[in-house]
Amino acid sequence: MSKFDIRKIKEKLFLVTVAALAILAVFPLFHIVFTVFYEGISTIMATGPTFITGTLGEGGIGPAIVGTLMLTLLSSIIGIPIALAVGIYAYEYPNSRIGKITTTLLQIMLEFPTILVGLFVMQLIVIPMGSYSVIAGALALAIIMMPYVAVYTAESMSQIPFTFREAAFGLGVNRAKSVFMIIAPIAKRGILTGLLISTAKVAGETAPLLFTAGGLYQSYPHSFTQPVGSISLLIYTLVQSPSIADHQMAWGAALVLMVIFLAVFIPIRMSLKEVKL
Amino acid sequence: MEKKTMYMGATIAVIGIMVLAAVMAGWVGNTGSNNNSDNGTGSTIILRTTGATFPQYQVQKWIDTYQKSNPNVKIEYEGGGSGHGQDAFMQGLSEIGRTDPPVSESTWSKFEDTGDMPLQFPEVVGAVVISYNIPGVGDIKLSQDALVGIFIGDIEYWDGAKITGQNPGINLPHEKIIVVHRSDSSGTTAIFTTYLSVINSTWDKQVGAGKTVQWPTDDMGRGLGGKGNPGVVSTLKQTDYSICYTELSFAIEESLPTAYLENADGNYTEPTDSSIQAAVAGVSSNIPPPDKGYSENLKQLLNAQGNDSYPIVAFTHMLVWKNIDGKHYTHDDVTAIKDFMKWVLTDGQKPENLAPGYVGLPEDVANIGLSAINQIQG
Repeated sequence: MSKFDIRKIKEKLFLVTVAALAILAVFPLFHIVFTVFYEGISTIMATGPTFITGTLGEGGIGPAIVGTLMLTLLSSIIGIPIALAVGIYAYEYPNSRIGKITTTLLQIMLEFPTILVGLFVMQLIVIPMGSYSVIAGALALAIIMMPYVAVYTAESMSQIPFTFREAAFGLGVNRAKSVFMIIAPIAKRGILTGLLISTAKVAGETAPLLFTAGGLYQSYPHSFTQPVGSISLLIYTLVQSPSIADHQMAWGAALVLMVIFLAVFIPIRMSLKEVKL
Repeated sequence: MEKKTMYMGATIAVIGIMVLAAVMAGWVGNTGSNNNSDNGTGSTIILRTTGATFPQYQVQKWIDTYQKSNPNVKIEYEGGGSGHGQDAFMQGLSEIGRTDPPVSESTWSKFEDTGDMPLQFPEVVGAVVISYNIPGVGDIKLSQDALVGIFIGDIEYWDGAKITGQNPGINLPHEKIIVVHRSDSSGTTAIFTTYLSVINSTWDKQVGAGKTVQWPTDDMGRGLGGKGNPGVVSTLKQTDYSICYTELSFAIEESLPTAYLENADGNYTEPTDSSIQAAVAGVSSNIPPPDKGYSENLKQLLNAQGNDSYPIVAFTHMLVWKNIDGKHYTHDDVTAIKDFMKWVLTDGQKPENLAPGYVGLPEDVANIGLSAINQIQG
């Protein structure tokens, strides 16, 4: 009996340990969410709606919000189609020379320092154009976004059992159709998760924008070839100031960024149902 | 299968709404800003000033105040440091460059290679202060020897003889000194290490001066790095028995204690408006004309003579183009730039427009800037 008890205790102990470690792992996330909300809400309440719509001179971050949306949108338009194509190629021809090189390059690009991407785009676009611009910022973000989308696409498609393709081929479906009509829709949860994560990632990026977007907070952006601000870039500038008021504004901006992120992420993530295999 | 398409449809719809929201936000934003500018006398002029973060608080305050009386001019503050400021200015990415150290001769000639003439002049005076975190201890005095000894690592404990000798009434603990410094490339570091090189030849030989240096205390395990002034200040606050150098504005905003430092005349001075002004008085004759900015000597303000002078004081500079043949600015830009700079050098130097931790220029130094403004063409 006693031997049995020890085994039971061991099991309980194990479960408790795992649960405790799991909580420990998620705790920072909730801590961040809570702190940002707690510190940010008072700033936004104090300033009122002006905080969302006003320019920096008026005590608001409106231009930064619009800038973040413009940059995220344009970088998605540039990056996602290319990245999907690359991902599908890497999945379809994993053993070809180009396929192997592509896969390796994607892995490297995932870990590439983002500030270097910013400097690269600065040399490529900003200096010849003679101005910071939405285009330059979005291109830098697109370069950062693409490997995520491509890797997620290739990975989630490669998890689909080969039998589905055999069945497709058996019905006389050609290769292209089997990829785009059969495999991709089954893997859409993984692919869309990749899109979401990469979109969310670039929406919060700072380093690649430092030398490409420039920043625009005193007036609203009105052109894709002119400098633009972003919420993350504004936070970066504000926290460097000694002024306490600037720090509070940065908290408010952080809350806005988090709300945008959660508002996009949660509904889409929840609406995606796994395809049971 | 039908369910699947439904979810797909829902996803597309959500993404569609997102896109629409983004476009609308952009559109609403545009019309908003257009309306604003239409209310004024003309179109909005957007100027950009890039570079040194040493005067960040001050420049932001100027922009804030100036824009209130000049709603048609929008001035964007951009940081990035002095190096980035010079670079962005040279590439024409920014109308007004900002740099802490005077532009070097080689960079100056690159500026001139653009076919235009750069103009450099001081905009405001700032000070680097020594702050510390010793529980229960304040108002400490540091001699030049003690300061160098602490940062070079020779003095290991707070109750070292070189420190206690100047602080007879203060009970300094037998605790190891932790030196907190900037981990990133910084103009503040350049000013501070240049100062240490000026007062001590050993420091000059062993460590030297620069935007980043190899801190001797790091090798002894008594050094900590912090990113930016905020990083240094928060590290200092979290670490008992630590010491750091930072900008006066940060020390004031964060209510940090600042050490009295020994000046060239052997007196101990605290960083105050009057001790900083004392250091700056009488240097105007050594400041070159704006079109020969490279020949300015950073060291002249460090360890300045005078009974009451605070020893670590520096100008931070603005860069602007002479605009030969309209190479860099349009006519409207020039009008706005001249007006803003004239305001900065006159009204901007008044106490009510200065941010805590900055000191206005002496009038004859401000006049050097005003002469630069008159040279801008167009």
